[in-house]
Amino acid sequence: MAANSASATVGRDDLPPAAAERLSGWLRDYRPFAGIPDELIDPMGWPRDYWLNFLGSFAEYPEGEFKSRFSLSTKHIRDTGVSYRIYGEDNERAWPLNPLPLILGEQEWSQIAAGVEQRARLMEAILQDLYGEASLVRDGALPAAAVTGSPDFIRAMRGVKPPGGRYLQLYAADLGRGPDGRWWVLDDRTQAPSGAGYALENRLVLSRAYPNLYNNANVQRLASFFDGMRQGLAQAADSNEPRICLLTPGPFSETYFEQAHLARYLGFLLVEGDDLVVREGRAYVRTIAGLKRADVLLRRVDADFLDPLELNGASKLGVPGLLEAIREGGVAVLNMPGSGVLESRALLGFLPKLSRRLLGEELLTPNVATWWCGQSLERALVEREMDTVAIASAFNQPAGDSFAKPRLMADLSEAERRTFLQRFQDRPEDFVGQEVARLSTTPVLRDGRLEPAAFVLRVYAAWTPQGFSIMPGGFCRTSDRPDMRAISMGEGARTADVWVISQAPVERVTLLTARDEVKVQRITGHLPSRAADNLFWLGRYLERAEATLRLVRSLCTSLMDPEAALHTAGETLSRLQQLLIGGGALQEEAMGERAVDAARSALHDEEAAGSVIQLVRSSHRTAASMRERLSADFWSLLLNLENRLSRGQDALSEADVLQQVESALQILSALSGLSQENMNRAAGWRFLDMGRRIERGINICRFTRTLASGTATMDDLDLLLDLADSQITYRARYLVGVALTPVRDMAMLDPFNTRSLAFQLDALKSHLAALPSLLDDGMLEAPHKILLNLAAEVETEEATDLDGSKMLGFEQALMRLSIAVADRYFLQGANVAPTVEIAGLA
Amino acid sequence: MIYDLRHKTTYRYGAPVAFARCVLRLTPRDGPWQTVLANEVLISPKPAAVLERIGPFGETTRTVEVDQPHRAFVIEARSRVDVHARLIDANAPSPSWESVRENSLTSPLLGPEGPASFLYPTLRTPITPAITEYARQSFWPGRPIVQAAAELMGRMRSDFAYDQEATDVRTPAAEAFAARRGVCQDFVHIMISGLRGLGLPAAYVSGYLRTIPPPGQPRLEGADATHAWVSLWCGPDRGWVGIDPTNAAFAENDHIVLALGRDYADIAPIDGVILAPGGQTLKVEVDVIPTNEEDRLL
Repeated sequence: MAANSASATVGRDDLPPAAAERLSGWLRDYRPFAGIPDELIDPMGWPRDYWLNFLGSFAEYPEGEFKSRFSLSTKHIRDTGVSYRIYGEDNERAWPLNPLPLILGEQEWSQIAAGVEQRARLMEAILQDLYGEASLVRDGALPAAAVTGSPDFIRAMRGVKPPGGRYLQLYAADLGRGPDGRWWVLDDRTQAPSGAGYALENRLVLSRAYPNLYNNANVQRLASFFDGMRQGLAQAADSNEPRICLLTPGPFSETYFEQAHLARYLGFLLVEGDDLVVREGRAYVRTIAGLKRADVLLRRVDADFLDPLELNGASKLGVPGLLEAIREGGVAVLNMPGSGVLESRALLGFLPKLSRRLLGEELLTPNVATWWCGQSLERALVEREMDTVAIASAFNQPAGDSFAKPRLMADLSEAERRTFLQRFQDRPEDFVGQEVARLSTTPVLRDGRLEPAAFVLRVYAAWTPQGFSIMPGGFCRTSDRPDMRAISMGEGARTADVWVISQAPVERVTLLTARDEVKVQRITGHLPSRAADNLFWLGRYLERAEATLRLVRSLCTSLMDPEAALHTAGETLSRLQQLLIGGGALQEEAMGERAVDAARSALHDEEAAGSVIQLVRSSHRTAASMRERLSADFWSLLLNLENRLSRGQDALSEADVLQQVESALQILSALSGLSQENMNRAAGWRFLDMGRRIERGINICRFTRTLASGTATMDDLDLLLDLADSQITYRARYLVGVALTPVRDMAMLDPFNTRSLAFQLDALKSHLAALPSLLDDGMLEAPHKILLNLAAEVETEEATDLDGSKMLGFEQALMRLSIAVADRYFLQGANVAPTVEIAGLA
Repeated sequence: MIYDLRHKTTYRYGAPVAFARCVLRLTPRDGPWQTVLANEVLISPKPAAVLERIGPFGETTRTVEVDQPHRAFVIEARSRVDVHARLIDANAPSPSWESVRENSLTSPLLGPEGPASFLYPTLRTPITPAITEYARQSFWPGRPIVQAAAELMGRMRSDFAYDQEATDVRTPAAEAFAARRGVCQDFVHIMISGLRGLGLPAAYVSGYLRTIPPPGQPRLEGADATHAWVSLWCGPDRGWVGIDPTNAAFAENDHIVLALGRDYADIAPIDGVILAPGGQTLKVEVDVIPTNEEDRLL
């Protein structure tokens, strides 16, 4: 093959011999497919300069070092939980990233960028017409049936002026390089393009893996693109300091991680449908301080699901009345609901004509040839060429549909073919025929060799006050299979970062704006109720896990300490087990089990709702639905905790179990240290800490009731001091040895002991005092009343009078407090909003 | 024929409801076949806000917010409508159904007046081979469309059993089709699925039907009901033709149109969400009174 003989003789003479040899080995073995363009090898058979530069420097890393660099960097992917989810699966998958980026030269790039910018303008113009006067349809430039077949043609938005004046904030085109060497558009993304956040993450990983290479390669930076996007969104609002929210379908969405990442990067509030309400034509976020205006929503929820009242009534993801608010100009939703109509393949064939008509320009980047079979000439052509063209559905279909992606007749089973042909006869308008084009390949590393892989490049255009701006880079997916149009993240595809190489050194983009434009703020707005709820429960779960671990630790040490074992063989041991059963860590049947078995069950029993592993999973789940609020460090500690506990199920001896408990406790204390020292002291931290304090208060009441009752033994009290982490203080304070009253005082009433009930109540008081109240009428809200009552009782109590029923009363008051906090601050009633349907038909 | 219409819906809740948001589509539609002479909608408790607009299918829509706690929600619509529809002869010449199909694909009308919106499947009217094949038996090559549709509605009337227990408002068309039983809503969804399966534009019509009491008996107050039927586009010249598969009759002067959409969900008379923990009960009363009767409502 010509390409290979040429490339085999090329290399770089400025490299050390080992690197030069590796480079020429790579190039010698690299075999692009015949007749298909390749990104590394140009049409003349020579490697492109910018690739050669990159590969040369890349070859300079010794084999081992390259591997360790890349695996260290992908470890970051695991640690920070970069993931995606395949639709319908419970588990998230780790992110598969290629070690090599896709590299594009500046000249190449300027063509792509011009094509995508033009297309974004064209899309905006078509939307303005379709939802406005619809002259394209009226004049016959576009058949009505090519529009109405799309589930994203939102009729309720016809004639509605989009708040902010525009339909598209973010547009993306999926591109491939055709056999003629030009870039082609395969698909348009106008609904809510995904992947921009993954592009950011890919860039982060690669620039960390090869910092020198990246810094010397003049790679264009991404930051200013996102800054422009933020300005574009702010411009859509009618206020100066708009509250911009990213509306997500929630943690079960395929790309939730990406949405959370983007929200955090852009500084937007991540909200779900339940977080929002519409009142009198405006949208509001439910926060702990009541309803607060939402000015702009960047949506990742498909249009049909946005408003159960006017659109799909079964949707749980939307906001009832949202379309009404858009009509009233009370919220800007971008992309505007209905923009997705332009994703229909039925429209592709009309675009060159529409571009001439609406922009007066020829399309710079062609799309892959597409014939909508709702037109008789096109249908006849597709029927004639049925065996050579690909068939696809003309409009967006759910992922399960047989023609959601283009397919060749030859790939259909006999039965599929029969069904298809009948359907095609009855309803040709449901289909398009598409030219089958094999698109260009880019090098990937497989087993140390360089091999060509098919790829699709997604390029983004964001609206900014200066017009559409193109992200210099993108989101690239590569496939192991030669047909690149089958690529989606569900099919063993990988992603690659996209490097656009400048001729000249790139300017370091800084996101610093001029000093006087930014008003200093110390509080980041009101905490949404959902986030408060999640943080509160995260605090409770983590504290409960810690308390359970302390119980298990005592169980183990009592077994290992020969002297203690003498005493604890009896009652104390059974009280410990009782406490574990009471907390749900052990099942009833476990009573009387061997202590070491009980310890293992309390850690690992999947059936017990209160076992440590279940509590850690609950923490993980809760944390996962507010990822944008947790630091990467916090997240990676949490994942680490879960990994460690799920690995240790085969721990046999009590020493193994103890070892595991100790290390879990260490991670938990690191987590609590992190939240004390590294979380800013806004409302979010207060809810996390309130959850922790209430849980700790409840636990100390339970422990004290059980272990410091009137019939307590020395061992019981000793154990209580262990659990309350108060051995040292106690021994320093009381020389007489362990006695009932001082132990009770220390566990319950002593305001200086950080584990006592009194201490928790003090902390809770300061939290509640710092939180906003709904009304300015000076009246106490319910949580304050319960807490002040309880605190007054505890402060005035004497340890000698403290009996089981009083302690039970304290515990119950804490539970009431928890409910009152939920009633006051969290989403109440949001989940009880059934759609009323009338059933009165004859 | 002039009718007085009363359509009263009462929701009673197990616990007080703090907030309700509803969309009401209770104003009959004007058209060449009927003229709305009067319409009012009474709502209790008094709403905090009412917004009126024309919906995507030409229907008058009221969006209502109620923000005071209430245990009952009553919506009563009263209308007077003059119905002057064209009478339909199944055997009069009409275009072949295949030519209607071609015409609907090239239509330059994007709005509800044109056929393009009614060609494609919806959640409640999916296209399934079984229903399409059932419909196809009446649509042989070249057959005039009105004739074919009339035969299909006749077949449905004899093949399907009217059974209020068999289905509810959420039953999918395919299920009711397999059971061969249901109520008017099911028959309409099935017929629409079948017609669209053949590439024909068919709409869902909600409305009222004049009921004639048995001879010698007075009309029972509130005993009428809402009704549904199909409207089929029969080419640019014939336009829309109303077909009632429940009664095997064309929709003429006994049928009063409330609204017209792709399926029930587009034009349900009342859609709403409430914030409430408890259960609810629903009562619907309908009166359809030709105005030659004495007891006029307006």
